[in-house]
Amino acid sequence: MLKYLIKRVLWMIPLLIGISLISFFIMHLAPGDITNNEASFNPKTSEESRQKLRELYNLDKPVIVQYGLWLKRMTTLDFGNSFASHQKPVFWQTKDKDGNVTKGMIQEALPITLMINVLGLIITLTLATPLGIIAARKYGLWQDKSITLFNFIGFSIPGFWLSLLLMYWLGVVNNWLPISGLHSINYESFDTWGKVKDSLSHLFLPVVIPSVTGLAGITLFVKNGMLDVFHQDYITTARAKGLSEHQVVYTHALRNALLPLITIIGLSIPGLIGGSVIAETIFAIPGMGKLFFDAVMMRDFPVVMGILTIGSALTLIGNLIADIAYAWADPRVRRGVMQS
Amino acid sequence: MKILAFLTNQFLKRNAKFSFIATCLALSACGDSSQNLSQQALNNLNKSYPSQSGGTLLDATIGEPSGLIYMVAGESAAGAISSNIFNKLLKYDKNLDLEGELVEGWQVSSDQKTITFKLKPNLKWSDGKPLTSADVLWTWQAVTDEKTRSPYASDFQLVKKAETPDALTFSVTYDQAYAPALDSWAGLQILPKHLLQGQDLHTTAFARKPVGSNYYKLDSWTNGENIKLSRNPSSVLGQAKIDNLVTRIIPDSSAQFLELMADNIDSMGLDPIKYARIIPARPELKQKLALYKELGNSYTYMGFNLKRKPYDDVRVRKAINYAIDKQEIIDGVYLGLGIDIASPYKPGTRWSNPDLKPYPYDPQKAKVLLKEAGFVDSDGDGVLERDGKPFSFEILTNQNKEREKSAVLIQRRLKNVGIQANVRAIEWASFISRFIKTGDFDVVILGWGLGLDPDQFNIWHSSQQAPGQFNFIGYNNPSIDMLLEQGRTELNPDKRQKIYHEFARVLLEDSPIVYLSAGYGLSAIHKRVKGIDNPAPPAGVGWNTYDWYIPEPLRRAVPGRTEISTN
Amino acid sequence: MNKSLLEKALQNPLSKAGFVIIVLVFLLAMLAPIIAPYDPNDINVKAILLSPSWQHWMGTDGLGRDVLSRMLYGGRISLLVGLVAVGISTAIGILLGAIAGYYRGWVDTLIMRLVDVMLSIPSFFLILAVIAFLTPSIINVMIVIGLTSWMGVTRLVRAEFLSLSGREFVLASRTLGAKDARLIFTHLLPNSLTPIIVSSVLGVAGAVLMESGLSFLGLGVQAPQASWGNILTDGKDYIQFAWWLSLFPGLAILITVLGYNLLGEGLRDALDPRSENNR
Repeated sequence: MLKYLIKRVLWMIPLLIGISLISFFIMHLAPGDITNNEASFNPKTSEESRQKLRELYNLDKPVIVQYGLWLKRMTTLDFGNSFASHQKPVFWQTKDKDGNVTKGMIQEALPITLMINVLGLIITLTLATPLGIIAARKYGLWQDKSITLFNFIGFSIPGFWLSLLLMYWLGVVNNWLPISGLHSINYESFDTWGKVKDSLSHLFLPVVIPSVTGLAGITLFVKNGMLDVFHQDYITTARAKGLSEHQVVYTHALRNALLPLITIIGLSIPGLIGGSVIAETIFAIPGMGKLFFDAVMMRDFPVVMGILTIGSALTLIGNLIADIAYAWADPRVRRGVMQS
Repeated sequence: MKILAFLTNQFLKRNAKFSFIATCLALSACGDSSQNLSQQALNNLNKSYPSQSGGTLLDATIGEPSGLIYMVAGESAAGAISSNIFNKLLKYDKNLDLEGELVEGWQVSSDQKTITFKLKPNLKWSDGKPLTSADVLWTWQAVTDEKTRSPYASDFQLVKKAETPDALTFSVTYDQAYAPALDSWAGLQILPKHLLQGQDLHTTAFARKPVGSNYYKLDSWTNGENIKLSRNPSSVLGQAKIDNLVTRIIPDSSAQFLELMADNIDSMGLDPIKYARIIPARPELKQKLALYKELGNSYTYMGFNLKRKPYDDVRVRKAINYAIDKQEIIDGVYLGLGIDIASPYKPGTRWSNPDLKPYPYDPQKAKVLLKEAGFVDSDGDGVLERDGKPFSFEILTNQNKEREKSAVLIQRRLKNVGIQANVRAIEWASFISRFIKTGDFDVVILGWGLGLDPDQFNIWHSSQQAPGQFNFIGYNNPSIDMLLEQGRTELNPDKRQKIYHEFARVLLEDSPIVYLSAGYGLSAIHKRVKGIDNPAPPAGVGWNTYDWYIPEPLRRAVPGRTEISTN
Repeated sequence: MNKSLLEKALQNPLSKAGFVIIVLVFLLAMLAPIIAPYDPNDINVKAILLSPSWQHWMGTDGLGRDVLSRMLYGGRISLLVGLVAVGISTAIGILLGAIAGYYRGWVDTLIMRLVDVMLSIPSFFLILAVIAFLTPSIINVMIVIGLTSWMGVTRLVRAEFLSLSGREFVLASRTLGAKDARLIFTHLLPNSLTPIIVSSVLGVAGAVLMESGLSFLGLGVQAPQASWGNILTDGKDYIQFAWWLSLFPGLAILITVLGYNLLGEGLRDALDPRSENNR
């Protein structure tokens, strides 16, 4: 197991190098010199900030040296300060000589996006598992078909449109839910229970809408997994042994069908992080997606680079955890790993 | 129409039912959420109330400020908040006359090169420390410092000498008389020296926890969510009526409008469609929102790249000017909420030359002028050619709905005179960095928002053409250059007025840009907010926000969540 | 595509519905110049924001342009974005997948690592950054979506090649001295075409949806050229009032994407050997 782990971690190194190359390339995609690319009128600012940019990214040095230095930045997670908001460090908090702590932009945004995505994933899984089982058991029947149709409708709706419709319906017409934001204005004055209620009501739409649109994939996966397992020998054996259908489904089939889900969840991380851009913009949530979008629009290169790096690193870590969890959960893989 | 509306509702219900159940189970909060305003509450909105202190005003902004030191942050989102925290030496009153804000008075020396400001006595920062001329001097030093990258520095760099003879006196001396000087001091927010000395203005933590002297002070800034201000008890100008100003950060305009409808914010800027069509047609909105319009100091224009052919030819520029129907744009795009203009000044002010008339819509004249310039439709395809090349160009604009629509209308009018125009609306940052700064455009539609001083040196003077500077259309006219230089040094208002009237006349004649319209600034403010001047005075709706008040019966029971008590 | 596969897929009513939707939408978009009642760019400032009526079945927009006509022409653009983007990603996927699966060895390793790298960068972030830095336009949108979504096809083609290259007919032609290119194009590729088509059908759905998301952020097809995404974005501010501005493009995207998904899923199902021996 340890050997597998080490191998798995070492395997991430070439990937990280690839990611660094691609992000380096993107930064240089802007025509000419990236220092040209500031998004505002301001002769003075641009000359000065160009100088800073040149220093930061060593644009006067040969490309290969620039890349080496960028790699160093990436490995030490030191992306400097934002260009748009100079006092804010990109990644992690800094302390000035007076003891003022300024939190990092990613440090503040990441937990919010992670929380929303984890909650969303929980909802998706809780809904997708029973739906997938039903679809598999009623394969080809109307139940299966309506589940498929429902899921695909959810998948096919432009998310921002659905969001606006629901914000209008639930927030304005009926006033059941807050429309946007993460907290009420007077959040601080609530007691603990009030704070929990307030947070949950604000999170409801931003969490539920993406999980409904993401339902299709996972449901299909559970369904296909179940169908596969149904055909395997041990299930046939179990059936032959006279175990009830219920036992067959829930004890044998489900466990084996759900195993590969671990991998799928690991693989879905980049999509979830990337997909947060639209949801966070429309619901006014200060997460990674909104931060990234703003940074792109303001040509705030340190933030763009920082988020690309952290987002990719998260994916790699997520995949690693998924692989380990899978190996740990599935005795066959575990054995296979040991042997190899 | 009914059928389709019904379909939407059905669709919503199906989705909503599930969510509703889930919310109630999870939160048990559904019961106490309020209904739409009752008729009683709506009637109360229209009663009159005596002015009283207290309450919270909720506002929203699309973009989050990058910091609250306006001279380095520079964007309007920062200015909207920092102007409540910091004071300036001077300000414009209701009728746009200058008066003292931090100063009791000021004197201009007889050679007109020195201005001496006399500060009001006993000024204090909100942390209790005294505000003196040393702070003013320090602020001037900061804005002109080499290390400070401020877009507003140029005005202050002209100051040759700044002195503080005593704690209440601050004087500045210019190399030569500088007419926009007073205007510039009405724009510079004075910062506290004792907290900022020795710090880098760009990276200091002060930008996110400022200490000022104005009506309000910063309470909290929750990243990406809201910025809360509360009344500054030691404000140098007296006390504002409203206790708290909360600005929510809501990046999507549709979401912002939903928040306004649901009564979760009190005010919002509007587009002409919302102002003229939507709110008037919805009784429930009309009853609780008051609409305001004010003529801003801004206009929309179509500018030519004067360094390229054939836009260097005045006949071509004039022809295009004649070919465009400005009234059609004002009626169709601005729904009548705009004025056609003939000079780059706000109509009705002394700087706007009343004798000038906009180019009328005259396609015949346009065709004649184009022919004179050598454009003929030789192959009969409806598009004019010169030297075998068809006259076609791309009109670039940013993603502003009004400009986009204007461009489409212009496209059609140009087609009528044989010019083929394509329209492309590009996201702002790309637009500036790819096209404006590089000068890689033929024709653009943009707008200028102007200060109150008539000086437009930065926009029109031939020396201001470097990348990132404002004369990106490459305008180069010696007589305009001369007028601009004269206007800057002439302090006599009447003589100045003559100079700028002449400037506007030459500009109109030369037609380097086509004035499209001066649009009104439109906004909706909840009727619970009282004390607002309507119609807006020349200084605009917001000139007296410190006097706005929210009568107690109309305040939100729970700020941020809709509820208006009915008694 | 192999005809029996489509026939098999169409036995499922959902896939059949999907197929019908795709054909219908495609026809409507193709016939736009004939059936559109107005010129999509025909402005009428006297008739702005009219609700649907007999003259304007889907109402008019903020410039008095006929929404139905804009929908029909916008459909062409949206479909074009979908098809071209998928065309690009499929071409890259086939090329890289074929090279990896045929030559194996270090080329294979290199390509598959590249796939892993691309899969670990949040692709929407990548798309946003690249389009914004390159200036948004319909061409850039198509290219960038294409360049960031070829990984699935690559894996698919490689796997097909790996499994096919052990088969007798490939071995036979190899021993007979067939050239690499010939072998790839006449034997391997045609035999792995079916799964590629399935994934392309699903890819179009994704690209159409992606364009609408990019339009929402202001980075999609740029006005005044109509696409469903930017018609919807234009209308979103007036969702409760001028509802026709957002309802029709919203539904159009929903139905079209749904159609592609249903057909794609039906084809995948039909491909699945499981579906033969079971029900």
